[in-house]
Amino acid sequence: MLTYLVRRLIGTVPVVLMISLFVFLLLHAAPGDPADMLVSDQASAQDIKEARERWGIDQPIHIQYWRFLVSAVTGDFGRSFKYDEPVMVLVAQRFPATLELAFFATLIAICLGVPLGILASSRPNSWFDNVSSVGGFFGVSMPNFWLAIMLILLVSGYFNLLPSGGRNTFGVPGEPITGFLILDSLVTRDWAALQDAAKYLVLPSIVLGVNMTGLLMRMTRSSMLEVLSEDYIMTARAKGLSERAVIWSHALKNARIMIITVVGLEFGALISGSIIVESVFSWPGIGQLLLAGITARDYPLITGLVLVYTCLFIVVNLVVDLLYAATDPRIRLGG
Amino acid sequence: MQRIAKLRPSIGRLTAAAAVMGFTGLLAHDASAQQAPTRTRVTAAVTETIASVNPYADSVSLMYAIYSQTYGNIVDWNFEKGGYVSRFAESWSNPDNLTWVFKLKPGLKRHNGEPVVAADFIHSIGRAMNDPQTKQKHNVRWIKEMSAPDDLTVIFKTSEPVAPMLEHFSRIAVTSKAQWDKLGPAADKEAPFGAGPYAIKQVAVDNFFAMTKVPDHPDVKPENPDEVIFRIMKEPESRVTALLNGEIQIAQFIPPQLVPRIQNSTSAHISWEDAVELMFLAMSPEHKPWDKKEARQAVAYAIDRDALIKVLLNGQATRLDGPIGQGQFAYDPNLAPKYEYNPAKARELLKQAGYPNGVEIDFYATVGRYIADKQICEAIVPMLEAAGFKVTLKTPEWGTMWANVQKGGTPFYYMGRGSVIDPSAALSQYFETGQSPRIKFSNPQVDAALSAERREFDGTKRVALMRQAMSIITDEAPAHFMWRHKMATGVANTLEFKPDPTMDIFAVNIKIKPRRAAGAK
Repeated sequence: MLTYLVRRLIGTVPVVLMISLFVFLLLHAAPGDPADMLVSDQASAQDIKEARERWGIDQPIHIQYWRFLVSAVTGDFGRSFKYDEPVMVLVAQRFPATLELAFFATLIAICLGVPLGILASSRPNSWFDNVSSVGGFFGVSMPNFWLAIMLILLVSGYFNLLPSGGRNTFGVPGEPITGFLILDSLVTRDWAALQDAAKYLVLPSIVLGVNMTGLLMRMTRSSMLEVLSEDYIMTARAKGLSERAVIWSHALKNARIMIITVVGLEFGALISGSIIVESVFSWPGIGQLLLAGITARDYPLITGLVLVYTCLFIVVNLVVDLLYAATDPRIRLGG
Repeated sequence: MQRIAKLRPSIGRLTAAAAVMGFTGLLAHDASAQQAPTRTRVTAAVTETIASVNPYADSVSLMYAIYSQTYGNIVDWNFEKGGYVSRFAESWSNPDNLTWVFKLKPGLKRHNGEPVVAADFIHSIGRAMNDPQTKQKHNVRWIKEMSAPDDLTVIFKTSEPVAPMLEHFSRIAVTSKAQWDKLGPAADKEAPFGAGPYAIKQVAVDNFFAMTKVPDHPDVKPENPDEVIFRIMKEPESRVTALLNGEIQIAQFIPPQLVPRIQNSTSAHISWEDAVELMFLAMSPEHKPWDKKEARQAVAYAIDRDALIKVLLNGQATRLDGPIGQGQFAYDPNLAPKYEYNPAKARELLKQAGYPNGVEIDFYATVGRYIADKQICEAIVPMLEAAGFKVTLKTPEWGTMWANVQKGGTPFYYMGRGSVIDPSAALSQYFETGQSPRIKFSNPQVDAALSAERREFDGTKRVALMRQAMSIITDEAPAHFMWRHKMATGVANTLEFKPDPTMDIFAVNIKIKPRRAAGAK
């Protein structure tokens, strides 16, 4: 196992290097200049020149990239041009908000998608299966920007049930401990803060989780249908096992590899795909940070964030592989 | 059916999960009810950025206004008085055209009780000039020397006569030298003690800025809110919804299509204001056909601005006949020429420019940066085509377009220039030779007039010089001035508030209505 882990981690180095180079080249090839975007529009040509020198973007691109690499090896992704703070400090400040959102979106997707998929597969082509399939397609194909606006209009606007944006009410939560507001409020037993954080979390989590819910429902259904047609399921039923035992103890065990794969991949996608949801709901996470970086052509911030996303994907994939081995004894890692 | 029955425990679990989620919703509902704003807190949804706690690290209008009411700026423009005022200086004078002397009011105190002294002004200008994070260097680039002969006198020497220097001083927050000496850069976060009517309470970069009223400050009144929070909400739909459901009390920049939602509501209203942002079409004479004055004037005659204002902007804009409008410094209602919609004249002018069979042009439009910008530019295209231009409309992303404009690579574009009270800097920036390559227009008479107005400390003479420059610019038409938007701000009926023409939100202008009056609206 340890050998496998080390080998996988070593294997990520060239991936990260290639992605960093690709992002760096792409950013510099894109039109627009950080100095034009970030220095005041009343700045003189001299002010712009000085800003370029200060940020090192007056240097040839290979020197800029080399400097970036040397710093990155020590964990320093440079300073954001826009915020003049180390990139990793900015990421650390915003990451809990995104992770919390992605976690609850995933939780919603698992709580709804998996049971619905199982129920639908247990009675294929029934009205329930048909309705949930339509619902699944609806979830998968729903543009989350549109859904976000609709929910804001309906839930926040028409019914006035939940706030339309932000992460908490000013002044309600106490001092943050981890940056995960739900967790912090549970740890400190601050129920007002828990209530406040929960109400801000509901709409963005639903919007972010709806695609995953649909996908998970569809994948669980098809995976379960495949397993339920296997001979050993027929044998189990012939042995007189209850339908509940057949589905939960026998079929689901073999179908869960697919579920774990989808959850793993989608969790990574949720984190990187939260930009639109964060933007619409004014959610102060790394998605909004990336958007601000792109708008300002903030090279260190964009490169740093893309690498953070890359590392996240790698970690999530690694965790998924480990879960395969943990849940399916037929899979051996490190062989 | 039997199978479903056997799955009942699973359905039960599912129901339990749904119940948990429903409970969360219930919590949220209750919480929403609790969240009704107290009468002393006002939350304003804003659209710009809060990039730092360093008051010199931003050059956006929002932050200049926030720091003006927390730290206090050297001077402020007062729209009611039509001139500059200062909360720090009892007077200022120019012994010569290169010297500015400020006499400070005695007894000024910061929020922590510390006195405001002349050294703070020198420190503040120094930070605007040299702070590693500064984005305000352009405001102080003419300052050559600074001195404080005593605690109540500050003397600035400029490298050249700069008559509109007060405009630049109005952007400089006066921070404490004593706190800087004690804490260094951490002073901005740990000891942001200003002398404005509101004190900084909490700042979350790119999220919110909270400030509290200083009750004994001479500028505040009991009806001003005790606490004001500026919350960034870029999505207009969210801003409007949040206003209508009581999450916020002021929503900046309501686009025309959402105005009726607020107007038809019982909880909020729209406050209109003529913004001091100039919208114009820029034509760079470096590129054909804009090297010909007749072609530029053809554009001016080809566009029916009144129709665009009426149809696309729902009447919410004021046409500009010249670079600036009413209420802006040196405005001349009789400025000539005035370009009335005349497509026949436009066609004739294009022929005179040497294009009897028309000419192909690229027209660059911003998307989503200004009100209805793309729709306006789309509507302009057939108007230009009717005059003989063969137009290709281009809509690059803002970063790409702005970079090209800054480098002079965009021949013809729709653009805005905000915060124009004294137009000296804006006119110089776009129309004075060598100032910026955005238009690359060059005219010796304009250069002479603009240079002279900057050196002219006699107000009447300065106005005359500026009007002379604006008249030539309007006639030469390197830009066709379109309008100033009437900006819509959504305001809860519990408040009395009108933004000023810069569209900035000043807490001392917010008044919380007594409950009965608010309910009666």
